[in-house]
Amino acid sequence: MPVVELAGVTKAFQNTVAVRDLSLSIEAGQMFGLLGPNGAGKTTSIRMMMGITLPDSGRISLFEKPFDRRSLDRVGYLPEERGLYKKMKVLEQLVFFGQLHGLTTEAARKRAADWAARMEISDALEKKTEELSKGMQQKIQFIATLLHDPGLVVMDEPFSGLDPINTTLLQDALLELKSQGKAILFSTHRMDQVEKLCDAICLINNGEAILSGKMREIKSRYERNRVIVEFEGSADFLESGEIAEANNYAGHAEIKLKPHGDAQKLLHLAASMAAIYRFELVEPSLEEIFIQSVGGKPQ
Amino acid sequence: MMRNSPRNMLLIAKREYLEKIRGRAFRISTVLVPALLIFLLGVSAFTGRKMGTGKRIAVAADNAALAADIRASLLDDKSAGYTVETAAPATAQDRANLQARVQNKSLDGLLTIQDSASAAPKVTYISESSGDLMDTWRLDAAVNHGLLDLRLNQRGLSPQQVETVVKTVTIDTLLVSGSGQTGKSQGMTPFYKATLMTFLMTMPILLYGMDMARSIIEEKSSRIFEVMLSVARPDDILTGKLLGVGAVGLTQIAIWIAAAVLLSSTAMLAPLLSGQIKVHFTLLEAVLFPVYFILGFFLYSAFFSGLAATCETAQDLQMYIPLAVIPTWTSFAILPFLLNNPNSPWVVAASIFPITAPLVMVPRIGMLSAPYPWWQLALSLALLVLSIWVVIWFASRLYRVGILMYGKRATLPELLRWLRYS
Repeated sequence: MPVVELAGVTKAFQNTVAVRDLSLSIEAGQMFGLLGPNGAGKTTSIRMMMGITLPDSGRISLFEKPFDRRSLDRVGYLPEERGLYKKMKVLEQLVFFGQLHGLTTEAARKRAADWAARMEISDALEKKTEELSKGMQQKIQFIATLLHDPGLVVMDEPFSGLDPINTTLLQDALLELKSQGKAILFSTHRMDQVEKLCDAICLINNGEAILSGKMREIKSRYERNRVIVEFEGSADFLESGEIAEANNYAGHAEIKLKPHGDAQKLLHLAASMAAIYRFELVEPSLEEIFIQSVGGKPQ
Repeated sequence: MMRNSPRNMLLIAKREYLEKIRGRAFRISTVLVPALLIFLLGVSAFTGRKMGTGKRIAVAADNAALAADIRASLLDDKSAGYTVETAAPATAQDRANLQARVQNKSLDGLLTIQDSASAAPKVTYISESSGDLMDTWRLDAAVNHGLLDLRLNQRGLSPQQVETVVKTVTIDTLLVSGSGQTGKSQGMTPFYKATLMTFLMTMPILLYGMDMARSIIEEKSSRIFEVMLSVARPDDILTGKLLGVGAVGLTQIAIWIAAAVLLSSTAMLAPLLSGQIKVHFTLLEAVLFPVYFILGFFLYSAFFSGLAATCETAQDLQMYIPLAVIPTWTSFAILPFLLNNPNSPWVVAASIFPITAPLVMVPRIGMLSAPYPWWQLALSLALLVLSIWVVIWFASRLYRVGILMYGKRATLPELLRWLRYS
């Protein structure tokens, strides 16, 4: 049961095609990463899901119904360009957004207080927004997105600009929402976060999906052709015919095998020449997959 | 599409209102605007009274009776407070002496009249400072009055007869109502009243309209409107903001009126409000004024918001300020026609045409008496409401699409494309 589904969506601006024939779907209880370099079409795709721009062709469904703005009451949206009313007090601001999403004043107040406690900003509730640091404002915006307990959470670059502590706080909150059965979509160009958090991804470049599906499936599609060896003794095994490329950093070697190169043969050879402390066959990181698929460096 | 949500609209209006009312700008302008007005009124009253006063003037004429006559008329004008000395019949030496005194500043001006018996007397006024308008008017009137007296006298009329012939009258203007009754003279009142009303109508509409535009740009530059667009329809957002800013305007005007009533009851402003300029408002005007004010505010503010939606910063908006001044130009350009004849075709058209109606209709009604042209009123109101709707429709589209155009101001072809696109 997809919570949000895009089918063959295309959107062009003047001379450039921002999104071309994009299809993806996100289930309840799934964390979905929308990946891609800057300008790939992530924000445009998200804006189409939110009805801010309309697709030129293709179909968008929310909660199994064709797109309807009424469904947006069940969506929490954190745009990439964040903004808050600077002169407003934090609590008033949160209550205002809660009310716009259909909450009563009392309910909005209570939830704002609960979330503030959880995000460790209770002291800030009576302050004016402009008096707060950027990180604090970002947490407030995050709360505003989630106050009405949306079934779908859409966040455009949610971690940009956050320090590691707040990043963890936010990640934990998202994981908890996921365990409550919410569908979560976020965009990022940071692979490590996606790798850690997401069940499924869609990698887009120049407006086109070049890789999409469940994380495990994607990774299993790529060969495990990288080996890390920690050793003491002769490094001559690095000349082996199984190896395409090797970097030796004084006892720590990063090796790329030839296509269909046999890791077991290499292990035997290495063990015969040196003392092996670690021999690990590494699955490709998302970053490597990304670079392979895009054929260039991510920005 | 999601249906309009009055609840969201009111929430947005309330937020806008509370934020503005609590802001420092509101407190400052509430105090400063009337203070500035009182100051300006004070300055103009002061300078008006002082203009050309207390000057020492010499009249050098070839005829003693003429000099005395001119001196009498000049002294007659108490507000001028002249000191006048005469030299008549004056010789060339007298004139040279007096002119020397003007140069060494023991005299402010010298009026010389030669060949007074001829058809073209030679009249000159010598002073150190040129161009005092009031002085010129007063001297002109006095000299012409004196010469007229002199000529009539020479043709055999006695001074009493001359007095009856040249006596000036002031005209009492009377208003005839539909039932044929004549009302009490209003004199200059319609002029003051129409000017006052046009002023009262234009200035706040402009001020709050620009305020609205600024508020839109703030939302764009603080990037909040993408969040807003994901929770509310653009026309709900715009209408809500219009209601909020409009309510702020009405609150401010209510405070000013209350303060004016209090001040006038302390008799400080009583001479100003009830003495020299007496302005009466009928019940109809009292009802129409706020109605047209609100509709006018809505129309112009919606228009300004549409413009603001295409701008990136307050600087971009500067470009459109001349456009914003158009209502003021038009209304003041129409004022003379209105005062001349409130039923002339141009004035009627202007009072119905939506862009000028808010500024022209109320002063126009103020100059008419019953029966009022009800169908024109109804038509003008209907057109106004319709055009507000249309302008909000356009503005909210621009507002929604403006989001895609961060970083640059839209050109006209782009604007047209935006409208089609959304």
